[in-house]
Amino acid sequence: MDEILGRYRLLQRAGGLIAPVVTSVMAFLVGGLVIVATTHKAPWGVYRGIFNGAGLNWILPWISAVDRTNAGYNLQQTLLVTTALILTGLAVSFAFRCGLFNIGGQGQYIVGAVFAVWIGSSLSGLQPAVHIVLAVGIATLGGAVWAGIAGFLRARFGAHEVITTIMLNWTAIWVASALLGQGGPLQGKNGSDNPISADVVDGAKLTVIWGDPLLQGLSIGIFVALAALVLYWIVTSRTTLGFGIRTVGKSTEAARYSGIDVARSTFLAMAISGGFAGLAGALDILGWQFRLSVGDVQASQIGFIGIAVALLGRNTAVGVGLSALLFGALVNGTSTRNLDPSVFRPELAGNLTILIQGLVVLFVGADVLVLVVLSRLRRRRA
Amino acid sequence: MKKKTRLLSLIALTAIVAVGLLAGAGFAQNAKHARTAATSACLVTDIGGLNDKSFNHLAYVGLQAAQSKLGVTGRVIESKSGSDYIPNLLSCVQGGADITIGVGFLMADAINTVAAKFPDSKFAIIDFPQEFLASKPANTRGILFREQESGYLAGWLAVKELVSQKKPLVLGAVGGLKIPPVDHYIAGYIAGAKAANPKAKVLYGYSQNFVDQAKCKELALGQIAQGAQVEFAVAGQCGLGALDAAKEKGGWGIGVDADQLFLGSHMLTSAIKKVDVGVFRTIKQVKGGTFKGYGNTTFSVRAGGAGIGAISPKVPKDIVAGEKLLEKKIKNGSIKSIPTTVP
Repeated sequence: MDEILGRYRLLQRAGGLIAPVVTSVMAFLVGGLVIVATTHKAPWGVYRGIFNGAGLNWILPWISAVDRTNAGYNLQQTLLVTTALILTGLAVSFAFRCGLFNIGGQGQYIVGAVFAVWIGSSLSGLQPAVHIVLAVGIATLGGAVWAGIAGFLRARFGAHEVITTIMLNWTAIWVASALLGQGGPLQGKNGSDNPISADVVDGAKLTVIWGDPLLQGLSIGIFVALAALVLYWIVTSRTTLGFGIRTVGKSTEAARYSGIDVARSTFLAMAISGGFAGLAGALDILGWQFRLSVGDVQASQIGFIGIAVALLGRNTAVGVGLSALLFGALVNGTSTRNLDPSVFRPELAGNLTILIQGLVVLFVGADVLVLVVLSRLRRRRA
Repeated sequence: MKKKTRLLSLIALTAIVAVGLLAGAGFAQNAKHARTAATSACLVTDIGGLNDKSFNHLAYVGLQAAQSKLGVTGRVIESKSGSDYIPNLLSCVQGGADITIGVGFLMADAINTVAAKFPDSKFAIIDFPQEFLASKPANTRGILFREQESGYLAGWLAVKELVSQKKPLVLGAVGGLKIPPVDHYIAGYIAGAKAANPKAKVLYGYSQNFVDQAKCKELALGQIAQGAQVEFAVAGQCGLGALDAAKEKGGWGIGVDADQLFLGSHMLTSAIKKVDVGVFRTIKQVKGGTFKGYGNTTFSVRAGGAGIGAISPKVPKDIVAGEKLLEKKIKNGSIKSIPTTVP
């Protein structure tokens, strides 16, 4: 057993790539078994549907021009979801580095989205660049403050962040519902009385770099998310702040003994985490959504999927980036429009994403098992 | 040690690339869209999903009826989040649908965008007036319902039943989000109750939710504590909680959208909105070539698109007869201008 654990650590140091890959493959295989069991059909068609639906066939050189147009559109949608998932994944990862479990990514995302829609839909006539920077900046700050509350409560009073962030999620959902609901200050005045905000003005919309800006094309938000990954890597591994946060994460007592301000690190780790999630909300609003409704606020799951992204990505920048892409592809590839209704009854298809997501999370904890099997195999060969 | 680490990274990378390539090879083939001569209809649900036992479900029932009775080809796409709306609608249009129907006001902005982009395709949206779509697309029709008429019938019946039972004339209503279709129901309910007996009192509130049954139950229990004898649930799945509260406390429940009398002996009736009829007739118009964009089709009691469901067998015969008469009066227009907004 010692040998296995030793090898496990080695693997983790090797970038921890094997385990997540095996984990994901296993999740898909078991998902396939479920498909066989429930539909009595071979899962290959479904796998292909997911792959094409996610637009990943865009990279294949031999597909036809029409297919490439479709694939391009699908890939834009995948990357659009990936953008948000990278950031909500980082929101969880960053706190993890400090030994904190930020379950509040969803609430922080909503706070960011609300600020973005508020600033984005007002102040028309402002210089576009200024308007965007202002909206994104305040939304990020809003997310940071929201998570900062939990960080402060943890640092000052020892209130557990799992409890406080969950409570702050609900607070965010209901405050946003009140703001956007009928008679709320952010409800748009389009005459229909529906609980939905006004539209973001054209000047505050992010530039679309790929696809049709009217049909949810991919905006420059993806580059902001990629930049955030680099920033995350720099902060965690190349700065004093990051060193302090990581030390606190490994051992609070050791950190305190070596003179690191534990309270400050805890607060900042949470606040920066929340900033990432708030940024995700802003990019979604200004990049493709352009408005926010009470229904969207209550149905959104993007912050929670971020937890799975962080777990699978092992809290590393590269890992979070890749697993965000995987989950983005999964979310988009398993949408009903991309699954063959003759294989999957439309009323069941929506559950496939949740099923495979659940399996991935389940298997993340099972990678030690993978290593046991690997070492057995190796011993037999020797 | 260091060497071993590097080797492992290399193996891992190779594995990823290999998996990617293998996957690619297997997935090279692509589905081709077959175009057929038959009329095709495509339905996009909102985030409530197909299993909501109410509004999205009924829309799907309408599509299935059109498939079996009119011989049209149908397709239904579920939206799981806000980011699905536009891609789903686009998928319908590009799949060659002759009519694309969005279910619910949440789809309004997405329909507006896609309809403006594809002026040669036809669209319809349920529960949203066409004139409120920002670009007022000429290829889009709103499918609306006179929920107030259904609510009126339910409120009248509830009060008459309470009078016959010699119970206090206090009614409760639990709405989901405060949106026009919900308010139409409640406004009609209040008007119907007052018409049956001016002394009737209606307590109402909003759970701000269409899903969480606990929220509606809590609200209903509060109203029952204030004396409400009947609970009218206008909140989709959440509303089932309000009906449950009525059952627990020995009161009456009134269902919404679909006929929900099957929920138990505590059910008085259901205020019905035949989304299925709306969808079916719209598809029929498209097939017959009589579909027109621009404007709304409003389904009323008269048009067979609204009304009440089965009535509890415990209700006295004369009240049921009175209800039928009331329905006739709404049909022939002698009862009109039922309010649509809640005071």
